[in-house]
Amino acid sequence: MKLKKSKGLGTRIAIFNHKGGVGKTTLTVNIAAALAKSGKRILLVDSDPQCNLTAYLVEESVVNDLLDHSDSPDGKTLWSAVKPVVDALGEPKSIPTYEVAERLYLLPGDVRLAEFEQELHSLWGECFQRRSKGFRGTTALSDIVSKTVKQHSIDYVFYDSGPNIGALNRVILLDCDYFIIPAACDLFSLRAITTLGHTLAKWINDWDTISDLAPSTTELLEGHPKLLGFIPQRFRVYGGVPAGHYAKFIPLLEKRIQADVVNVLKKIDETLVPASAFPLRMGEIKDFSSLASASQTEGVPFFDVAATTDIQRDEATESFQKLADAIVKRTGKPASV
Amino acid sequence: MKLTKAENQLVEKLVAHYAENQSKLKTFLLDQISPVLVNSTQLGECVHSFKWRLKEPSHLRDKLKRKYEECKEKKKRFTITPDNLFVKINDLVGIRILHLHTRQIAKIDKILRELFEEGRFRIIEGPFAKTWDDETKSFFDEIGIRTRQSGPSMYTSVHYVIDSNSRTRYTAEIQVRTLAEELWGEVAHTIDYPTPSKSLACKEQIRVLARVTSSCTRLVDSIFRSHEEFNSSGKK
Repeated sequence: MKLKKSKGLGTRIAIFNHKGGVGKTTLTVNIAAALAKSGKRILLVDSDPQCNLTAYLVEESVVNDLLDHSDSPDGKTLWSAVKPVVDALGEPKSIPTYEVAERLYLLPGDVRLAEFEQELHSLWGECFQRRSKGFRGTTALSDIVSKTVKQHSIDYVFYDSGPNIGALNRVILLDCDYFIIPAACDLFSLRAITTLGHTLAKWINDWDTISDLAPSTTELLEGHPKLLGFIPQRFRVYGGVPAGHYAKFIPLLEKRIQADVVNVLKKIDETLVPASAFPLRMGEIKDFSSLASASQTEGVPFFDVAATTDIQRDEATESFQKLADAIVKRTGKPASV
Repeated sequence: MKLTKAENQLVEKLVAHYAENQSKLKTFLLDQISPVLVNSTQLGECVHSFKWRLKEPSHLRDKLKRKYEECKEKKKRFTITPDNLFVKINDLVGIRILHLHTRQIAKIDKILRELFEEGRFRIIEGPFAKTWDDETKSFFDEIGIRTRQSGPSMYTSVHYVIDSNSRTRYTAEIQVRTLAEELWGEVAHTIDYPTPSKSLACKEQIRVLARVTSSCTRLVDSIFRSHEEFNSSGKK
């Protein structure tokens, strides 16, 4: 199968697993913050209708205000941006970004993105039927991101996604250049991997059919999300080594990802999986349990949390910095100065 | 002229390539072309029914072998490759539009052109009418549809080939014919195609059937014409 090469409007990444509670949002915020600290320009896209990411990073009164006004013409959330497409009034609307920190921007989410997701189901069908409305709706989110990327000269885009394999996550993954699988060390996480790999393969194949048959001037999603690796997390650590119960899951996870994600994607296209030089496991995040809740309360990445010890904070900072470096290395961008 | 092992391998490679892409052609046919035709009320008013199919891989194999053998006999190069298969073989996706009487084709042609444009398909061949009947030929000449002589099979219908106009180009053949022509077509196709019948009686009867069904179409044309003429004179 021939797949198109990336168009180069910001390197787009989703930290994706439809299994809930594997720390998608926490990982996304902290990796993004680490990259921003090292000089990259980052855009966070809160494309989860639960808008946890927005609630994480934006003050509560501001979030309430954003959500209360998102349906009006001067709305400033992702729902406000895609609404013209849902209402069949035309192109998506530009919305301002929320500056979280230096070089770190956010496109705020919205609970009403659930309505957009409903619409995306039928829009997908319309793509199969070569209808322009289908293509416009399916690429709407990608268009909004592209505009923001240009405006703020963004290097990396991180989509935060809800824990499901629905129509919204489908367009997000198909817009991404890369995806990373966060995985918890338990049996349910292990089982979820199988669904994840096969679902992604179906999305990629379906989109390839759609793209192949789309009228030649149509704007399309890249449809070529490459696996960067997986990040096991939430295991307890004693003396720096994952403790017995959790440790045994890591090789099991790795094996399952190899069989049900890597091998499945490889059949579609060799370039969808990491080069053999890179191990599947990108790094790991231990359970910073108290730090995670404190970070959410304070609305800052782990390394800016006030209510913790220096040791814990430094350890967290180091783990995320390592992951950020791994991402830069694996996405082929030169290391930051 | 028999094919060599390597030539047979190329044919198999082409058939395998078709089989691999059948789901895309199925989408092209069932989700993209057919709905455009079936959902048009305008077309529905002058059409009796629609039929469509994807070519059986075994039929493609036979066709490719036949073409290859012909090329060898005429000392021509066989130019079909997996990259151009979907453009060189136009009847992998086939759609047939059936109607009652000949004069309806003028309106059908106009609507089809509009629908193809709306669906962003390109007509890359036709329309042309295959016919062996002089009176029918002059009718098509009159409405501006080119004609081609049917040849020994006495096959009749109006042909279009459309192109998907997309990243990978897929083509589809569309045939428009009357119900009476379809009766002949179905009988001939079952008995005499792809391998011609060896029975002289069958061959003879199929040729007679072509004349009977052609007369049948002509009779239906005449009935509709008389009906219209009667109605309009009655109003006066």
